Amino acid sequence: MQALLEIKNLKTRFHTDEGVVKAVNGVSYALQPGEILGVVGESGCGKSVHALSVMRLIPTPPGEIAEGEIIFEGRDLLTLSKDGMRQIRGRDIAMVFQDPMTSLNPVYTVGFQIIEALTLHLGLDHNQARKRAAELLSMVGIPQAEKRLDDYPHQFSGGMRQRAMIAMALSCAPKLLIADEPTTALDVTIQAQIVDLVKSLQKEFGMAVMWITHDLGVVAELAQMINVMYAGYIVERGNVREIYYQTRHPYTIGLLGSLPRLDEAPGARLYSIPGLPPDLITLPDGCPFAARCPYKVEQCTTDMPPLQPADSPNHLVACWRWKDILEERAQ
Amino acid sequence: MLRYIIRRLITLVPTIIGVTFVIFMFQRLIPGDPAVAMLGEHAAKENVERIREQLGLNRPLFLDREALAQGDLKTFFDSQYFRYLSRLVRLDLGVSIHRRIPVAETLAQRFPATVELALLSMMIAIFVGIPVGIISAARRNSILDSVSMIGSLIGVSMPIFWLGLMEIMLFAVILKWLPAGGRISTGTHIETVTNLLLVDSLITGNIPGFFETLKYLAMPTIALATIPMAIIARMTRSSMLDVLQEDYIRTANAKGLVERVVLFRHALKNAFLPVITIIGIQAGTLLAGAVLTETIFAWPGIGKWVYDAILGRDYPIVQGGTLLIALIFVFINLMVDVSYAVLDPRIHYD
Amino acid sequence: MSVYEEVTVVDFAVREHRSLWVDAWRRLISNRTARIGMAIVALFVFSTVFAHFFWKYDPKTDLDYALKLKPPTLIPNEEVPSVHLFGTDKLGRDIFRRVVHGGWNSLRVGLVAVSISLSIGGILGLLAGFYENIRETVPERMALRALVGMALGALNAWIASQWYQALLFAGIGILSVFIREHDKRRRRIMFIMLGILCGAVPGFIAHPMVALVCGTLGALYGLFFSFDIGGKFFSDTVMRFMDIVLAFPSYLLAIAIVAFLGPGLEKGMIAIGVVGIPIYARLARSSVLSVMQKEYILAAQAVGESHGRILFRHIVPNILSPIIVQTTMGLASAILSAAALGFLGLGAIPPEPEWGAMLGDSYRFLASGAWWAVLFPGLAIMLSVLGFNLLGDGLRDALDPKLQI
Repeated sequence: MQALLEIKNLKTRFHTDEGVVKAVNGVSYALQPGEILGVVGESGCGKSVHALSVMRLIPTPPGEIAEGEIIFEGRDLLTLSKDGMRQIRGRDIAMVFQDPMTSLNPVYTVGFQIIEALTLHLGLDHNQARKRAAELLSMVGIPQAEKRLDDYPHQFSGGMRQRAMIAMALSCAPKLLIADEPTTALDVTIQAQIVDLVKSLQKEFGMAVMWITHDLGVVAELAQMINVMYAGYIVERGNVREIYYQTRHPYTIGLLGSLPRLDEAPGARLYSIPGLPPDLITLPDGCPFAARCPYKVEQCTTDMPPLQPADSPNHLVACWRWKDILEERAQ
Repeated sequence: MLRYIIRRLITLVPTIIGVTFVIFMFQRLIPGDPAVAMLGEHAAKENVERIREQLGLNRPLFLDREALAQGDLKTFFDSQYFRYLSRLVRLDLGVSIHRRIPVAETLAQRFPATVELALLSMMIAIFVGIPVGIISAARRNSILDSVSMIGSLIGVSMPIFWLGLMEIMLFAVILKWLPAGGRISTGTHIETVTNLLLVDSLITGNIPGFFETLKYLAMPTIALATIPMAIIARMTRSSMLDVLQEDYIRTANAKGLVERVVLFRHALKNAFLPVITIIGIQAGTLLAGAVLTETIFAWPGIGKWVYDAILGRDYPIVQGGTLLIALIFVFINLMVDVSYAVLDPRIHYD
Repeated sequence: MSVYEEVTVVDFAVREHRSLWVDAWRRLISNRTARIGMAIVALFVFSTVFAHFFWKYDPKTDLDYALKLKPPTLIPNEEVPSVHLFGTDKLGRDIFRRVVHGGWNSLRVGLVAVSISLSIGGILGLLAGFYENIRETVPERMALRALVGMALGALNAWIASQWYQALLFAGIGILSVFIREHDKRRRRIMFIMLGILCGAVPGFIAHPMVALVCGTLGALYGLFFSFDIGGKFFSDTVMRFMDIVLAFPSYLLAIAIVAFLGPGLEKGMIAIGVVGIPIYARLARSSVLSVMQKEYILAAQAVGESHGRILFRHIVPNILSPIIVQTTMGLASAILSAAALGFLGLGAIPPEPEWGAMLGDSYRFLASGAWWAVLFPGLAIMLSVLGFNLLGDGLRDALDPKLQI
């Protein structure tokens, strides 16, 4: 089966006054049609930037995709013309952003903003587009959709706005939906609703979903595959079971360890990974996690470990010592 | 909407009363006696007294407390300020002290000249300034951007009277293309309807008159338009740059919209709000800047007229002219607020 | 998981930390427009200060009809025996020399005018913005109401020729802070009665009519004090007053003020300064309002810091950036306004060298071809104004790129 999206050695840089920010440092993976991929990591680990790179929405300057290929349905998006890329955006790849408060244009009605995409990509006339927009809004669970088309974004609540954003993204039935922390700015109860909504819509539309989040709980529920990112690298990749139960990379171990657990003794202190993520301008040689890693050896500070298969061919980990760690932890 | 406008109009009342008060204060505080100014330094004392009484200058400024102490309530309120207010309410602007012509009459004649100049300048400033600002923002850090931004910074720094003089030197003295000053040559006759000569000459089908008018308007308009044009361009640019960083612009791009649509539909409408404020402020400044431009180009508008009146202590003119300018200023601010409410659905106006 | 707790974190090669101002300064000098601006401003300031102290010039004795209106001469010849870089004016004075010395006046006008606008407008705006959002303390409320009472009572005092009426109403103001009558109607009636009492009773001594007028006013004042007169009232009053000043086009207002004060450079400074007050007041107020919404102000209030401390420790440092930028640009516009006044003959008194006045003096000779007498003073105005504007632009980018001035 041909992959829907294949990213090869993607490197994205930002040129700032203080130096070059190395936001994405050689990310490679493939995404199958209809697959739900979770991308997790702390803020500033390059997960959003790599997604924006796929959409070619990196603000240039100061940003720049320095290297790599992004092959979508056999075509390298990075070599497409501006206009060619524009036709893919919204129609084949759609995106939902983190903050629904600021992601909708405040001076146009919600309906107008959905209709805009429909008339652009599907060539519908205004009435058809309006009908379709109302359908979409009710599909994402907004009551009285027909009426609410004429509301302005500030008349919607946060959860409703995110639903409207999703309706907008799904308007042209894209093959890939990129959701960039779509639930971070929302209340917990609304978060769950949005996750369920995307899940059911994914079944209905059969599209692939790339779900970017720092919330490990959400992806466990939603995703099939997970990429764990750290300092612009993928440090571990595998399916949900592998990531959660056969964790190999010390960063992922730490990340999972810092989740509060119900079965823990009351009053036990919540664990946190010591230190801070590295400065992306002065990225160290070797493994970027070395400075915070309890298992590090000499080699970790000089050479970056490649992303290689661990226990199974699809479970990849970028660590020199994953085997030693496994043994150490078994004792 | 109508209710919003009415409410805004009501809040204007204290401002307008304050304005009339300030105008009144100023003209009475300016040293020099208008009666003396009228009759000359060597006039007989009793004549001066008579004129003072005629003009009401022998009354107290605000309230006559001596009269009240005698129990006379009517005379208590019979002061220069209240007389001035009651005349204002009856739209009586008085008679020029020096020229003995009703102020309203001269105003009606001279005001259109200033309006014509200011409107044309503002139109040029807006129709050049906004596109330049948009293009600069869209092509940030390009050569075009640098050139237009340095150009606009020079424009902001330009003393308009100097620019006017340089124009005269180049176009009137050296090249002899344009007349050095005035509104229309004495030989040209244009039927007056609105007193805006460009409009009048078009209505009456007087095409040579139209171009003649344009010739006279060219230099003062450019001089007057330069600063607002520069300021509008800079404001548009910075406002557009701000808006272009917003998340909803990213959303618009993610939808696959063409750059033109993103810029003009999604960015411009949002970026327009601060630009409108600046246009409002500039429109008022333009009227004031007319004092200098009208002086240089011998333009028969109200700026020069009021300025001369201030120096000549011609109270009624100062009063009428300043009040009109201030009222227009206040009115423009109202328009700005209303257009805000129209453009931004988040502003509640009920 | 216990292994993690033993880890000592090796810090990364963290970039050198610098203070905010050092950072801003570095951004400023790396900015090309700011560098050009600084160069122009430095040249302007240095040359005029140098000329003022080391190249004495007495405008009163400078006069040579033999040399009137000569074009720029670089090499002395028979007709013009001395070097005149910028030519001479209608009285045969060297324009270069007068341009350099004129800079001193422009610099003075700029500094004085901006100081006036900044000190009055800035403080008013600061207080207005601060008290608009914060509940004033009891002594503050007392002071405010006493002052307002005094000001209102002054009218009564004047009408009745009884100075103590002002004090009576100041007293009502103070009293209104302490009388805790929560029933609105009763409070209103109580204060109206009190007002009538303070106005009418002393008025009767003069004349019953005086008592009528003063009593009516007193009733109004009493009604006024029965409301919650506090920070919001103060802020509204100040800003409404600024609106009134702003309703007059700046040039016209400056001209009127100069006409009132009489011509002269010093009067021009005051006029330009006064006209600028609302700009700084509005800027300061809106900056304060945006700072007041920050959590650290709430935190400072929560730990019980005094108003003065919150104002000067937390608010003032955070509104400095827009104020600094506006001040720099304000210098530019003050120089421009001063030149305009000078041009109209309202600024410097001749023969004092001032750029605008030099233009006003010479523009009549343009038709006879004396372009140099107009070109150079104007160029000087434009360049110095441009210098301050460039610097202000660069400062804005360096201090806070999000600012919009």
